[in-house]
Amino acid sequence: MSALEYLFVGFQDVVDPGILPWLTVGVTLGYVVGALPGLGKGTGVAVSIPLTFYLEPVAALGMLIGIAKGSGAGSAVSAILLNTPGEPSSAPTALDGYPLARQGKAQKALKMGLYASVIGDFLSTLILIGLAAPLASYALMIGPVELCAILLFSLTFVGGLSGRSLTKGLIAAALGVFFATVGLEVETFVPRFTFGLLELEDGISLVPMAIGMLALAEMIVQAGDLRTLDAETANIKDGTAREDRVVLASEWRRCIPAILRGTAIGSAVGILPGLGASVGSFLSYGATQRLSRTPEKFGTGMIEGVAAAESADNAVVPSSLVPLFALGIPGSVIAAILIAAFILHGLTPGPLMFKEQPRLVADVYAAMICASLIMLIVGCTGQRVFAQVIKVPLRLIIPGVLLLCSVGAYMETGSIFSIYVMLFFGVLGFFARKLDFSFVTFLIGFVIGPKLELSFRQSIQILGHDMTNLVKHPIAVAFIFLTIAVVWWIGRGNRPAAAARHLEPDVAAAPHNTGTTRNQKGG
Amino acid sequence: MRRANVTSGIVLAIFGLVMLFAVIPVHIAPGPEGVMSPRLVPAMMMIVVTGLAVLLVITNLRAERRSGPEAGSPVSRSALIALLKIGAVFALAIVLYLWLSPLAAGAALIIGALVALGERRPFVIVLMPVALLTALWLLFYKLLGTAIV
Repeated sequence: MSALEYLFVGFQDVVDPGILPWLTVGVTLGYVVGALPGLGKGTGVAVSIPLTFYLEPVAALGMLIGIAKGSGAGSAVSAILLNTPGEPSSAPTALDGYPLARQGKAQKALKMGLYASVIGDFLSTLILIGLAAPLASYALMIGPVELCAILLFSLTFVGGLSGRSLTKGLIAAALGVFFATVGLEVETFVPRFTFGLLELEDGISLVPMAIGMLALAEMIVQAGDLRTLDAETANIKDGTAREDRVVLASEWRRCIPAILRGTAIGSAVGILPGLGASVGSFLSYGATQRLSRTPEKFGTGMIEGVAAAESADNAVVPSSLVPLFALGIPGSVIAAILIAAFILHGLTPGPLMFKEQPRLVADVYAAMICASLIMLIVGCTGQRVFAQVIKVPLRLIIPGVLLLCSVGAYMETGSIFSIYVMLFFGVLGFFARKLDFSFVTFLIGFVIGPKLELSFRQSIQILGHDMTNLVKHPIAVAFIFLTIAVVWWIGRGNRPAAAARHLEPDVAAAPHNTGTTRNQKGG
Repeated sequence: MRRANVTSGIVLAIFGLVMLFAVIPVHIAPGPEGVMSPRLVPAMMMIVVTGLAVLLVITNLRAERRSGPEAGSPVSRSALIALLKIGAVFALAIVLYLWLSPLAAGAALIIGALVALGERRPFVIVLMPVALLTALWLLFYKLLGTAIV
């Protein structure tokens, strides 16, 4: 079968009555989760993985992808209505979305946010479909020595860019790899850091760890900031005139270039590991402002600002799966969490999946395209309802999320030990957020740690314990030099993330900026 | 943040040294001859962590000397109180799980979190655990057809 035929079969599978409702549930859930301040796609997906244990693989993966996509679009709701981005990447949306809401044009801003999100997400999904398989065919030519060098480069790149400090990023990456060594060593079966506990022999499970670091830690941070967040819900107003509620044709003409530019920037940023949606949305907003005839009006309610930020933000999610699908390397926190879900449901991300399970891959692609369309329908029909959801005080939301976290962690192993793991990493995640150590890098280090160690072992054997044999592996040498160059380049202060954040003090000064916004970079 | 960086750097450096000289040699066997030692990768990571933690301390001490001490801590008092409150709620829920039942633990988790976060309306405190636990039961036992085990 050709790729197009597989995709056609994929659509047939996804529109099945046993699959499509779960995809819709995922998008809707993601939209609500994204709309709630502080609850991002990472939290939503991590908490939901155990809920999908008993679903068909396509339904499960579709639901999780739906959550990831839906929350990207939903995060604009709180940014526009409350000036509190649901996710850090929606911070630039608040710059013009909130002034629009204060002018009584909240519905118009929300609609443009949704349309830009859907277009960015849809086009980026097409880029993923077009790029991942050809890249994967090249990846199959890569041996352990090259893979080890590429993984080292990716980890350094992510570590260097996803936080504010290169040193802290690299510490987080090394700690992630370190925690991945817990359990029985794969070659010699020697137990490492198990301390006699049987539960640790298989290593630390990713699901309770991710739930702890992402969801639980975030809830603790939000609990410490309750008063400010609840105070923001008081001043939401809505206009009644038609031109305040719909996107006019003249506004569409101004926004389409911004959306296409945002999609291109977001897709490029997503493909590069470690940069994350925040960088994409800030870069897109900045580019649209620079190219505008009236850049001085940005920040006062320019609808192009909303379109630019949201299209880039949502374009990052699908394209960030390109390195995961093509090389098996998660380039973002959402990819790191999804890797666990993919493996759980029988699809191991990497170049071989296109050869071994083309139908499941096609199903995932079809689910992603359908999720974009469902996002549009759910957003259009439910936007008013979701706008009400964010008025619910956080003190009523946090207990429910804590319960879901516990159930999610517990279901992974059916043991209270998973709760202990979740709590341990929840506390670690709390301090990582507060002290600005990138938990994104930590999670990615943890996920690629076993692969890095295995390829390192194989490399040592292939090289015959003689490093001079590296000259026979020019790709590996190139990536080692790239790693050194990246460390040198970032160490000298050339950080795209930092450049993107030049706008951020304005966001922090004007809108209310949560701890999440400040700390959750690179996701 | 500089003072916090110095403190976290010192803690990480001590952690790395303890791992390198006490935990790794004691808790990981050297492994059979002819294969890469199982201690190698954890030890390498701890060397990286220790080295970078020392670098973090030095660079932040230097920066602090240049620009003077800064006020405030990145971990606010309210954040620490929230951490302690939620920690206490989880401790209570775990005790109830071990001594009583998962249902009691779930209810305690919701009620405890509501009260800890300032909710005082009895109607909400009673209704919310009932609603959430019923929703979970419906989701797992009826819709997904499985038990939470």
